[in-house]
Amino acid sequence: MSKFHSKEDYLPTEASYKLLPIKFERLNSDEYVLTNMSGEFTVIENADLDKVVNYKLVPEDQLYADLRSRQFIYEPNDKSPVQMLALKVRTKYSRLANFTNLHLFVVTLRCDHSCPYCQVSRQSEDKSSFDMTKEMADKGLDFVFRSPSPALKIEFQGGEPLLNFELVKYIVLEAKKRNESLGRDLAFVIATTLSLLTDEVLDFCKAHNIFLSSSLDGVEALHNANRPRAGKNSHQKFVEGLGKARLALGFDNVSALMTTTEQSLPQVKSIIDEYLRLGFNGIFLRPLSPYGFAIKTKKYRAYNTERWLEFYKEGLDYIIELNKAGVRFTEHYTSLILTKMLTSNDPGFVDLMNPSGAGIAAIVFNYDGGVYASDESRMLAEMGDDSFRLGHIEKNTYEEMMLSDKLLDALEDTFTLSVPMCSDCAFEPYCGAEPVYHHAVYGDSVARKPESEFCKRNMAIYKHLIELMRSDAETKQIFLGWANRC
Amino acid sequence: MASADVVLVFDERLFSIEAVQKAAYRFIHLFAMDMSLVNGSITCTLTPSQEHSPEGLQHYIDEFKKEVLDQHLRIKIKAETEDVRNLVLGIAFSNSGLLASE
Repeated sequence: MSKFHSKEDYLPTEASYKLLPIKFERLNSDEYVLTNMSGEFTVIENADLDKVVNYKLVPEDQLYADLRSRQFIYEPNDKSPVQMLALKVRTKYSRLANFTNLHLFVVTLRCDHSCPYCQVSRQSEDKSSFDMTKEMADKGLDFVFRSPSPALKIEFQGGEPLLNFELVKYIVLEAKKRNESLGRDLAFVIATTLSLLTDEVLDFCKAHNIFLSSSLDGVEALHNANRPRAGKNSHQKFVEGLGKARLALGFDNVSALMTTTEQSLPQVKSIIDEYLRLGFNGIFLRPLSPYGFAIKTKKYRAYNTERWLEFYKEGLDYIIELNKAGVRFTEHYTSLILTKMLTSNDPGFVDLMNPSGAGIAAIVFNYDGGVYASDESRMLAEMGDDSFRLGHIEKNTYEEMMLSDKLLDALEDTFTLSVPMCSDCAFEPYCGAEPVYHHAVYGDSVARKPESEFCKRNMAIYKHLIELMRSDAETKQIFLGWANRC
Repeated sequence: MASADVVLVFDERLFSIEAVQKAAYRFIHLFAMDMSLVNGSITCTLTPSQEHSPEGLQHYIDEFKKEVLDQHLRIKIKAETEDVRNLVLGIAFSNSGLLASE
């Protein structure tokens, strides 16, 4: 006698199944992508969609088992499909309960660089006009510790924050002092070009576990063209600073971001090679943002979404080949999306959050005391648009700003589960509301999604990643590794 | 110069007005649409916003028809899963500390 029941014993006792909430999009002319409420996906042929929705699937179909095992359909006698799905959805949204984690202090707008795509920086010696004061910093820290989040990250932005390093030191020491009795998980980041690093700065960063986030746009000629400074030596300064910082703080305590300019487009491989040469284990292939000087200098319009997607896909192909050859290297935006696609976790990337992360995931204290719902919001303000300015750190209370109509309306209006097209979109679980981007480009925080470049870019990426995983098992293994990092 | 208007007719017994409206929204970057309901026929007049080749225009019209069918299925799924969707969300956010009464 067999110890196990036969396969037939596990077939349903009732003939019919029921649908769980599912959404679908066309992947290509022959297939659909189906997603469930938690963002798990499967690809089915066109004819099968009709069968699923009109209850024509039979238990013997392989598709039946696939859909049932992952909460796309269920049988009335199934024990816990709703609870399983709820648990995954709850995990996905668990960040919301923690509220604001990231607090950006723009300690100065002054900078030693004059990058044409930069949103905000100023070439100025006038400290009084472009530096944050201690009084504002104190009020900013009051705000930080009002957040219920058990983990608080303070990021120093600019301009070049090291030009107002005294205030950086003050905020770090004051935050740590306040935290002695509060016991939050406190972390600090300085966003710096590394060009002004000194031993004093590094000693302080080492003593207080401060992470450095920097910028590298590619090989020397490209980087220097994108990031001009006196002496035309931005790349050299970066490399020198990187070496010193890694030595002082640890190899992995310095990261770099790249921005794609028109000149970057034909050289994605050399950009990736430069990251590899300098010891980075990943790259973030970022398009230009439609704010500030990037608009004024017409850099933003220098290439369209289709051209950027070509750049991204070429780069991703190259990175996949590197991984297949044994080189561990990640494209970070892809990795963020894959985490959403292949796990129940949400990596908390502000651009891809719903409700939008504006204000409730990140908030910005500008050099002049203005409080903004996101870094992009303050960049928008530099263009004369105060739509997402929540108030002034010295004049308004926490409640006045966090409960302001400006913030709440933006979050509510753009909630993707109730926005036209987004609410029906199969990729909604992976995507974000992005009110500031849509306001900046279309003058409407919701905007018409069929016309949205954000929608076009991200839809193309989601479909591309699914196609890559389906076409090559090794690529899928690599992607699973990116999605499940510790 | 934009291409000439295209008229499509859908039977109200087979497709809801909502499905046609939602399909039209997804094509808002390609067509403006006038819609009327007469004797059970949903008549859509699609006005292309730019010039297309005959083949290009036909492709978009075919895609529009497919989209109406997709929207019809989406509405059906949404209606049939409304209760369970609310149940899932209710369980997901119960005891989360997010409600004032908890």
